[in-house]
Amino acid sequence: MENINMLLQGFSVLLTWQNVFVTFLGAILGLIVGAMPGIGSLAGVALLLPLTYSFNPTTAVIMLGSLYYANMFGGAFSAILLNIPGDSPAVMTALDGYPMATVKKRPGQALLVSNFSSFIGGLIGMIILTFTGPALANIGLKFGPSEMTALLLVAMTSIGWLVGENPSKGLLLTLFGILLACMGMDTLTGSPRYDFGNEYLLGGIPFTPFVIGMVGFSQVMILMDERLVKAKEVTEKLTIRGSLLTKHDLKRLLPPALRSGVLGTFMGVLPGAGATAASFMGYAVQKSFKSEEPLGSGAVEGIASCEAANNGAAAGSFAPLLALGIPGSGTGAVLLGGLMLWGLNPGPLLFTNEPDFAWGLIASLFLANVVALMCAWGVIPLLIKILSVPTRLIIPCITVICIVGSYSTSNSMYGVLVMLISGVLGYVMHKFRYPAAPVLLAFVLAPMLESNMRKSFIISRGSLDIFFDSPLSLAFMTIFIVILLFPAARAVFGSFARTKMETAK
Amino acid sequence: MENAAAKTKGFGLNQAIPLATAAMAGVFLWLGLSQYGFWHDSKGPMSGFFPIVISSALLLVSIATFFQSFSEKRPTLPFLNWLPAFGVVLTLGATLLLGMVPSLALYVVLWLRLFEKYDWKTTLITTAVIMAIVIGCFVIWLGVPFPQGLIYEAITE
Repeated sequence: MENINMLLQGFSVLLTWQNVFVTFLGAILGLIVGAMPGIGSLAGVALLLPLTYSFNPTTAVIMLGSLYYANMFGGAFSAILLNIPGDSPAVMTALDGYPMATVKKRPGQALLVSNFSSFIGGLIGMIILTFTGPALANIGLKFGPSEMTALLLVAMTSIGWLVGENPSKGLLLTLFGILLACMGMDTLTGSPRYDFGNEYLLGGIPFTPFVIGMVGFSQVMILMDERLVKAKEVTEKLTIRGSLLTKHDLKRLLPPALRSGVLGTFMGVLPGAGATAASFMGYAVQKSFKSEEPLGSGAVEGIASCEAANNGAAAGSFAPLLALGIPGSGTGAVLLGGLMLWGLNPGPLLFTNEPDFAWGLIASLFLANVVALMCAWGVIPLLIKILSVPTRLIIPCITVICIVGSYSTSNSMYGVLVMLISGVLGYVMHKFRYPAAPVLLAFVLAPMLESNMRKSFIISRGSLDIFFDSPLSLAFMTIFIVILLFPAARAVFGSFARTKMETAK
Repeated sequence: MENAAAKTKGFGLNQAIPLATAAMAGVFLWLGLSQYGFWHDSKGPMSGFFPIVISSALLLVSIATFFQSFSEKRPTLPFLNWLPAFGVVLTLGATLLLGMVPSLALYVVLWLRLFEKYDWKTTLITTAVIMAIVIGCFVIWLGVPFPQGLIYEAITE
């Protein structure tokens, strides 16, 4: 009850014309920045940080929080319409969003599923944040290196869901993605590793150009097969009404969105996990639940699961940031820097010493969630027009966006080169039926996995017991082993069953 | 579309991916063991620990996938699909001379006009729209310092 009173007090802080204005401004800028490939929430928040210097701390952080939050909505736009994720958490959205928009010819519904799921996931995250913020942050602190290792191993092995009928290809790409992530600096000691004497490789392979290439530019190469196909006829559905979801769509959307909203919030609370990992996990978990259509073919459940998870994580990441001063992601680190810049000290005392600020920020997230949904819904008719542009015109335009987006993340031609190479790689993989998602998932999670695994071994002096000591890590390791053994068990029992059937015949 | 490319079985490009990953695993394994180290008695796992474990696993999986790949159909990689990649390479080359923004504009114009055979009106409108996004969002708003090329630098010196 006390938390509700504090939240209402937060709304009273929020509801000044200046704070409401910056919430709207942050939401609109966040949508735009999120939709632009290669910029992402981290760069967006960092680039717009100077804009907030003229505001008081509460107003400034409200704007940045709103921007970060709306960014999660915007990232899905280009993922769904162009198959170019605007931000890394939107990588999974493209898997089902793009087929739903193009193959199933339901672009408006795909965008709306994404927006609604983002809204639901975010709302769940904010409600959980309101009631359990400080307590939730403490749960996150219980995740030491061994627990994080076990959790990440579960995430890695769940890649089996992405590869479907060919586990060896998925495993090959997972390991390949991990090795790519090992290039650059050793995460623990900071010493150079696998840089082959190249100064660019010293910083590792940049994620955003890698994703733009692997998902976006490879799509351009694939589109060359379709360039003479007639432009998609979507003009009859260019209205908001034409984009409305049916009751059946909503029925399919709700369970995964609710589930992933909770999961995403929890992932957001974990230090270092962030919205990208949450989005991958949300999608992975959905694979173990029933979907009306197979995931990856344009399923509503696929879009809902990852979008709700990443927005839940965006909200959840504010718990450790505000209550403990631990940023859950790179964007959280920029926000933390902003807080310190304005003389605020995040930590257990923030809610006591600066209640106006802390609760005003949480209240602004609620408002940003509604504003982002409204804005995103309002621009759907404009966005769908992109799909009615002939493929022949789209190809050079997407190529230009890929080049500009990958350049802008690193301010060097190295980013463009990475985009080009990974694009060619993605195209070849597509042709040889190697799925791209395991590489991306492994690439994102590998540094965290390595860091936590090595810390665990340092603590235990090389003993594996550390992974089975605490109840949390024991539970995750059990799940990991079950997932690992499941394909083998299925193969053995499958062949046993086949032999039995043949004998019976 | 991709299915149309499915051809015969046998040795060919199908084996290239597992062979490439096996070679990569071999290099990472060798560098890990020879340069970065696996385990230190007092410090525990060293820089090469994680990559050595992963590259060993990758080597094994690559070998398994290599043998499995013989039973798969061989797709073709049409020359036409490689044109965007060649376009990017040429744009990167032109960037050194003209700068990135003019090179991108030139790329769009040449692609639409020479390759797609669009009329000037469509070509120029498309170029204007995409360049407005590039200049408006990336150059003016976000202030991305795109390379300006040797010609611009020679003029401004």
